Amino acid sequence: MKVKAMVLEGYGINCERETEYSFRLAGAEPERVHVNEFIWGEKKLEDYQIFVIPGGFSYGDDHGAGTVLASKLKNKKGEELIRFIEGGGLGLGICNGFQVFNRMGILPGSDENYDLEEVALMPNDSGNFIDNTVNLVNKESPCVFTKGIDRVDFPVRHAQGKIYGEDSVIKRLYKKKQVVMQYAKGSLTKNDKRYGYNPNGSMGDIAGICDSTGRVFGFMPHPEALNSKLNHPHWTIEKEVYKRRGEKMPLEGEGIQIFRNAVKYVQNNF
Amino acid sequence: MSTSQLEVMLKPGLEDSEGKKVKKKVKDYFGINIEDIRTIDAKTIDSENLDMENLELAREKIFTNSVTQISSFDSLAKSLDWDYMIWVGYRPGVMDPAGQTGMEAIEDLTGKSFGEGGGVYTSRYYLLRGKNLGSGDAEKIANEMLFNDIIQRCKVLSREDWKEKGFEIPSPKVILDYKPEVVTLPVKSDEELLKLSKERKMAINPRDIPTITKYFKKAEVREERAKYGLGDPTDIELEYIAQARSDHCNHNTFNGKFYYKDMSTGEETVVENLFEEFIKKPTLELAKEKDWVVSVLWDNAGIAKFDENNNYTISMETHNSPTTMEEYGGAITGNVGEYRDKLGAGLGSKIFMGLYGFCTAFRNYAGKLKPKRHPRRISDGEIEGIRDGANKSGVPTPFGVTVFHEGWLGKVNLYAGSVGIMPAQVKGKPTHEKHINDGDLCLMVGGRVGKDGIHGVTAASEEYSEHTPAGHVQIGFPYGQKKMEGLILEARDEGLLNYITDNGGGGLSSSVGESCRYCGKVGGVEIDLEKVPLKYLGMHPWEIWISESQERMTLAVSPDKIDRFMELAKKHDVEATVIGTYRDNGRIHINYEGKPIMHIGLDLMKKDFPQWEFEAEWTSPEMRGLTEPVLSEPKDYNSLLKDMLARPNVCSKEWIARQFDHEVQGGSVIKPMVGVERDVHSDAAVSKPVLESEKGFGVTQTINPWYSEIDTYWMTANVIDESVRKLVSVGGDLEHIGGIDNFCWPNIQYDPETNPDGKYKAAQLVRSNRALKKYCKEYKIPLLSGKDSMYIDGNLEGEYGENQKVSGPPVMHFTANTVIPDASKCVTMDAKMPGDLVYVLGETKDELGGSEYYDMFGHIGINVPKVDVEKSLPMYRALQKAIEEELVASAHAVSRGGLGVHLAEVAFAGNYGMDVNLGKLIGSLDRDDKILFSESSGRFIVTVAPEYRKKFEKIMGDYAITPVGYVTKESRFRVRGMHGDELINQDIGELKHAYKKTFGDLV
Repeated sequence: MKVKAMVLEGYGINCERETEYSFRLAGAEPERVHVNEFIWGEKKLEDYQIFVIPGGFSYGDDHGAGTVLASKLKNKKGEELIRFIEGGGLGLGICNGFQVFNRMGILPGSDENYDLEEVALMPNDSGNFIDNTVNLVNKESPCVFTKGIDRVDFPVRHAQGKIYGEDSVIKRLYKKKQVVMQYAKGSLTKNDKRYGYNPNGSMGDIAGICDSTGRVFGFMPHPEALNSKLNHPHWTIEKEVYKRRGEKMPLEGEGIQIFRNAVKYVQNNF
Repeated sequence: MSTSQLEVMLKPGLEDSEGKKVKKKVKDYFGINIEDIRTIDAKTIDSENLDMENLELAREKIFTNSVTQISSFDSLAKSLDWDYMIWVGYRPGVMDPAGQTGMEAIEDLTGKSFGEGGGVYTSRYYLLRGKNLGSGDAEKIANEMLFNDIIQRCKVLSREDWKEKGFEIPSPKVILDYKPEVVTLPVKSDEELLKLSKERKMAINPRDIPTITKYFKKAEVREERAKYGLGDPTDIELEYIAQARSDHCNHNTFNGKFYYKDMSTGEETVVENLFEEFIKKPTLELAKEKDWVVSVLWDNAGIAKFDENNNYTISMETHNSPTTMEEYGGAITGNVGEYRDKLGAGLGSKIFMGLYGFCTAFRNYAGKLKPKRHPRRISDGEIEGIRDGANKSGVPTPFGVTVFHEGWLGKVNLYAGSVGIMPAQVKGKPTHEKHINDGDLCLMVGGRVGKDGIHGVTAASEEYSEHTPAGHVQIGFPYGQKKMEGLILEARDEGLLNYITDNGGGGLSSSVGESCRYCGKVGGVEIDLEKVPLKYLGMHPWEIWISESQERMTLAVSPDKIDRFMELAKKHDVEATVIGTYRDNGRIHINYEGKPIMHIGLDLMKKDFPQWEFEAEWTSPEMRGLTEPVLSEPKDYNSLLKDMLARPNVCSKEWIARQFDHEVQGGSVIKPMVGVERDVHSDAAVSKPVLESEKGFGVTQTINPWYSEIDTYWMTANVIDESVRKLVSVGGDLEHIGGIDNFCWPNIQYDPETNPDGKYKAAQLVRSNRALKKYCKEYKIPLLSGKDSMYIDGNLEGEYGENQKVSGPPVMHFTANTVIPDASKCVTMDAKMPGDLVYVLGETKDELGGSEYYDMFGHIGINVPKVDVEKSLPMYRALQKAIEEELVASAHAVSRGGLGVHLAEVAFAGNYGMDVNLGKLIGSLDRDDKILFSESSGRFIVTVAPEYRKKFEKIMGDYAITPVGYVTKESRFRVRGMHGDELINQDIGELKHAYKKTFGDLV
């Protein structure tokens, strides 16, 4: 079947093209849809199985990351989006998209409550934007996007990525297995300290969470910016390792797995 | 009009990272200890149309994150513990991005419009708590760190003052208390025009004045003007001419005539036109030879071929004066303004890469001169400006240069460059060509017009009243521009655009004035100026015409496509307005409310305005008394190398690179920081602008202020050679190297009083251009773009109240780019495997003049590195081949700091040790310190797996006879001298620590 993904664009979103590209590599038929086309009803959610808010600086992130776009979407399309998710659709929020989902109250989506704001993405502890690569540990969770991933290095690029919530909320997220990915650091890191760190001071080193069904997933890292092996900061090192074993380095980026999982889920469940 | 103040802050229990950052900076800058700083964001909401219910909704739904924030329409500071309050807000008329988006959000949520004159204005309180904090401390923190008088207003209050008097945020609303008018300015004589030009700050060059006076006196001109009810020139006409003739727009210096005299040889030559002879002619010749050159020398950016279906667009600009005055605003507007050059190149290209260059005095400057803004503050602010401009535009910024030199105390250099990509054809038409037809509509798209940037920097000295807009320096609005980019790219792909250009210096005057030349045969345009959307009422027509308000483009759209274009504008939520019609009648004609106010023949600008002339006198380094220093060989190389690595112009500037998103758009191949811990600077950056393609786009930049002290000729030659090598070392293709020259020079106009060494500076410029021509020709680098900024001088107050002129070092900043056929063959500079062989390619000579090593001891020397392309190029070609055949594990171009620095970098980037024997180097240099720190051109450090040794040496021939060492597992960096004695034996971690510690605590 054709797997259709609506990739939002406009109003300062800026990762729409590589997100579209990654979905295409993963076998989906992605379509970039302007926020206004969505809001004006020119493009309808019912024609898609996956709804994606890519990274960027929607509305310049001026009043808290994702805030204004969240207000706009919730105001105009909130109920429709909830219906879409309840009807089995997938939601993916990457970086700014994750921030939007949280501000809309779609995430954390515990007990399938998609109208409760409980988690915030605060400014990084450093007080500044950071672009680096982090090593992530994939926890046991119902998340459909991260199936089969154990550990992975993804780029992070944000100024407001510190997950914060009341202790009770964070505890519940752990308990209900809604914590999907954690920044690997300290003892979590097996034998490689190169990227073992928490880039923003996130509580519990949390990088991403999903709703209780696992169909809505939001996280700070950028899998779409690892659409090719050549995006990885160490590919020239890895290439030497492959070469000296007489092998050719595979060129697919580890980020594609996230998108492929979504495509597979849709193919199996729709 | 009703005004409400909304205050928002983090819940008191949560850490305020912004406050924490300021606290740290206060400690670093001034050594002042503050216990705590908390910030409160204020939003002044000014609208007649909103009721309390609307405001409450906005407070709750938009401005407050219930998980982390509290907010109130009442004061939050009341309930907090603090000793001093610093409030900072924008001056009237300064772009307030968060205010703009706040207004958009409220309108969207409530469905109500703010109405004419309404707005949201943002400002911030910093609440300082500290036992020993005095009002002087708070004032110092405010004035020297938190606020800039040019764009902001500030209030410092102690707790007691605040309790007693309270504080109300002043409204930044713009109120103009005059009616728009057009004034006729009778110009009877040249003297009168000169006087008028000075009074109105039009800055017309005295040489141009007779041509202008003559024009308005001509009978046929007067006759034609009379038909439209026009007589003597109007204010808007003279302002237009002044703009169009400015050095900024016309590059009068580079188009000047130079009388060059070499005082040592007696050689006398006349350069008829610097630009024509050294840049234009050679570039056109090379363009013929290189079929990948598509369009150069006329558009907003150079255009060249990326692959069969796509072209790239490239340029690099400077924004030196604005950045010196207001570093954040100068940098961000420079940056997003540069992006508009890509949007306006050809029929519009998507920006896929940004570049930067920061040149300031040293961050720890503690000398006697008093720059208005400390270099550290400028450095921090310009980084933030590029960060916000780039990140919020979704443009990856993977490369840049950061250089410190005390000469930039008077005026800094701020470089902002970018590269765009566009389909070579749209709807069967080439995108690099643009033609306007008679009858096409002239549109202004994007931001509105205010009194921004009128007369550029001269406005800075004007006095402010409470509601006059701050004109000269602006804050960029990347979010607004990003929306506009979406519109333009979609309109381009639908074939709706006939012409596009950006509004930069000179505003509409320049963009419409230039674009109308492309209409039909003789060009022309008719504008209805009252149609231009304004930020506030009351502007004079001449102000509307020359305003430099940001984030606007000027477009030509044919009438049958206008409806579709407007539909797209609505979709992208971008304001687009038809402001006139292009004509093919040779006239630029403006009406205001139906009445003609300007009517000028386009041929006026082509008329023979007199060429600028310069005397240039070259005194050789020998004549200037330069010599090599008397310096014996050092004994402690271990400490020497560590200190060298820690020097500001050698060490890591990772803190800058990490603030810039360099991976957005998903094409990153070689990142700014490379190596196993991703913490050593790369030679160049490589990206894939077309994700589906295997091809990579590589770029690097080079600047060298030090060699200029000896000879700008060799400065230029080395800058070009270093750029070429840096590209080759990542896998660049020598058959496809494009270049961009950016000259940043002190004033070269001789004046016995104010510029006594002007003739020497002019000669430096001629010599630099000679080298530019020669080395571009020899390396076959067409100059795809270029710019000059000719007044890098500042007058600074000294210790005793005297004023001292500080001229910046003359530099030619060079950007070089390449297209790499297969990006998966790129190479990084870090050592990859223990046991790999280390080669040094190229000869190390006694060339330490202007080197980092001599500079360390306070010397300049005279033996500046020379460049010999005939010798170097075949070696570069061989290395390119070895890289293409995947025989090279790492490659690093040797530059500032010489072999000592670069060998260490290769080792510690890979976290491996290295054993090197200097005795195996080629060359006859006989001193270990000189071998280690000479900056001879034409050299690389390459590591190669032992199994590829034979193949590699075969390809390299005489250039790589034998390895000079090998990479080791043990993490020691060992160098044996030419006589076999151990010079350096250091732990790699310690060397890396030295490289990283200088700016290591900056974030």
